[in-house]
Amino acid sequence: MYKLGLDLGSSYTKGVVVDNNNQIVDYQLVKTGFDYKKATGKIIDKFSSKYQIDFPVYTCGYGREEIEQPHIANSEIIALSEAVFSIYKRKCSVIDIGGQDTKYIKINDHGQVDKFRMNRKCAAGTGSFIEEIAFRMDISPPEFSKLALKSTREVRLNSYCTVFAVSEIVGMVKKGIVIPDIINGIYNSIISRCTELSPVEDFLVITGGVPDNHPAIVSLFKKTFKDSESPPRSQFLAALGCVLLNNQHK
Amino acid sequence: MTQTQSAIIKLESAQELRITMDQYFARLKDAAETGNKKIAWCTSVGPAELLYSMGFEVYFPENHGAMLGSGKQADKYIPTAVAQGYSPDICSYLTSDIGAFLQNETPLQKSGFKSVPNPDILVYNTNQCREVGDWFSFYGKHFNVPVLGIHTPLSINELTPGIIKNVARQIENIVPELEKVADQKFNIDKFRETIELSRAGCVLWEKVLAKAKTRPSPINFFDAAIHMGPIVVMRGTQYAIDYYKVLLTELEERIANKISAVPDEKFRIYWDGMPLWYQLSNMAKLFARLDSCIVASTYCNSWVFNDLDPADPFTSSAYAYCKLFIVRSDTVKENILEKLMIDFSVDGIIYHDSKTCQRNSNNHYGMQTRLFEKNSIPYLEINGDLNDPRCFSEEQSIVAVETFIHQLSNRS
Repeated sequence: MYKLGLDLGSSYTKGVVVDNNNQIVDYQLVKTGFDYKKATGKIIDKFSSKYQIDFPVYTCGYGREEIEQPHIANSEIIALSEAVFSIYKRKCSVIDIGGQDTKYIKINDHGQVDKFRMNRKCAAGTGSFIEEIAFRMDISPPEFSKLALKSTREVRLNSYCTVFAVSEIVGMVKKGIVIPDIINGIYNSIISRCTELSPVEDFLVITGGVPDNHPAIVSLFKKTFKDSESPPRSQFLAALGCVLLNNQHK
Repeated sequence: MTQTQSAIIKLESAQELRITMDQYFARLKDAAETGNKKIAWCTSVGPAELLYSMGFEVYFPENHGAMLGSGKQADKYIPTAVAQGYSPDICSYLTSDIGAFLQNETPLQKSGFKSVPNPDILVYNTNQCREVGDWFSFYGKHFNVPVLGIHTPLSINELTPGIIKNVARQIENIVPELEKVADQKFNIDKFRETIELSRAGCVLWEKVLAKAKTRPSPINFFDAAIHMGPIVVMRGTQYAIDYYKVLLTELEERIANKISAVPDEKFRIYWDGMPLWYQLSNMAKLFARLDSCIVASTYCNSWVFNDLDPADPFTSSAYAYCKLFIVRSDTVKENILEKLMIDFSVDGIIYHDSKTCQRNSNNHYGMQTRLFEKNSIPYLEINGDLNDPRCFSEEQSIVAVETFIHQLSNRS
């Protein structure tokens, strides 16, 4: 029997199949769209055809209750912390950059959340911010990150607002600033928004869809925070954490 | 963390509250329709006692603003005021109230009012914010009636005799204009009597709030935000006193019978900042589901003016209304909050950072971290607004509150 963890995020729904040793054996990622039930149904159907799933499943994220199958809902912050601590087993700070949210979490020596902060009701500093700008610049996300690695000079993006940021970028292009430098500026503005949430005092773990899909932003984080890491497929960690939390409670 | 049905035990006094508030509005409606009494508009922490003592019926636009918010109507009206040049970043009581007025709509129409009751005079005190002056000036111009202002210094650290004397003189100075509009002479004995009624009402309100020191608490913030109606709009009348006697008796009975506001109270929370009026019911259910009771708040505790003294009505009015939390320096505010945390045995603090009420958001200048360094009580900051739901993310806030309570459970 396998356990299923689901993180029903605002942009993507992430699912993991977890074996009895708490190891992820399979992943699924689908666009959430406007129908959480449809998104989770897709994932559960795919997994059910390959694995014998032990219900209830464990959920977190905005759509944690929007699922037809028996489930136990969790806070995504607690779930993510659980998964991060299971990997590093040490006190740390986590910066998670998702589709609509940016979170700072401080985890103590016992793996408990000591403090957490979330972004304001604003897309700046989140995945949606990058997606919108990439779309307006007509650059695919993988290309976006690759271009940033070619940057040679630091430029600063002053706008918090996505719409104004696009106008500002148009102005930069007019001034002859090259695209790699502009993208680098966009990533740095996101890092700046993240670090506004709280001082980072410990070993830093960077998680979420943005670091997974934009390795360049991880490199920039590492320049500022030498003692930092972004685990592979970090956007699935909250889904894993849901399962781990449940195991712990049994 | 799975959601289960929450159970909120409603106060039986709610029925008496409804009657008390209905009668208040009936008096206003009668004055508006018959003209048998003059109507003064007053800010919520303005000199209501003076106005009641001079025979006015007193209407409070902030109470109207809260009605628009709790009725989930504010965002329908705010854009109309914004189009008239009022920034969406200023008080959303003001913008929703003026917007509703410009659209000729009011929730009072459900109670038979044609519109909000026309003022004969408007009186404000800037102790809470500067917006009240701008707000009242709009109506003063529209109705072509006098607007009187008491301008209280801001961020008062020490309540010096100079400050109190200045504000007391300002209150005295509005009397001649009030006499003209009221068409009656000021009567010091009547004023003393009203001050005593106000003091007695405030003492009862303070006793009501203090019942939440009991564990488990018989009352929570969501109850208090509704049941504070009489102390806001009928301060200085027997009606408020009569109502709070009823409420206090019920709370004493609840304590004796071990009935709590949140059935299985495990965590005791302090709420700083304005209520989220459009989310009051949802938030009440959320906290009840999480076995958490908001036992005290800066907002509800602000209407305690027990320094009023009939022996010296002007000076004590000035003192009481300058002592108000919102008009004090951050040092004083920090000390008040620190004491409240102890008095109410608080496990966690929630700071509501209200987009359009900077003065009532106490997490802007590092107070939250300073307090944490002193008392180690965890805190959560929620972004929202008193009236404008567009500034609030319900989903994000629910996750934040759930996680915060989980965080508290790790400490217990």
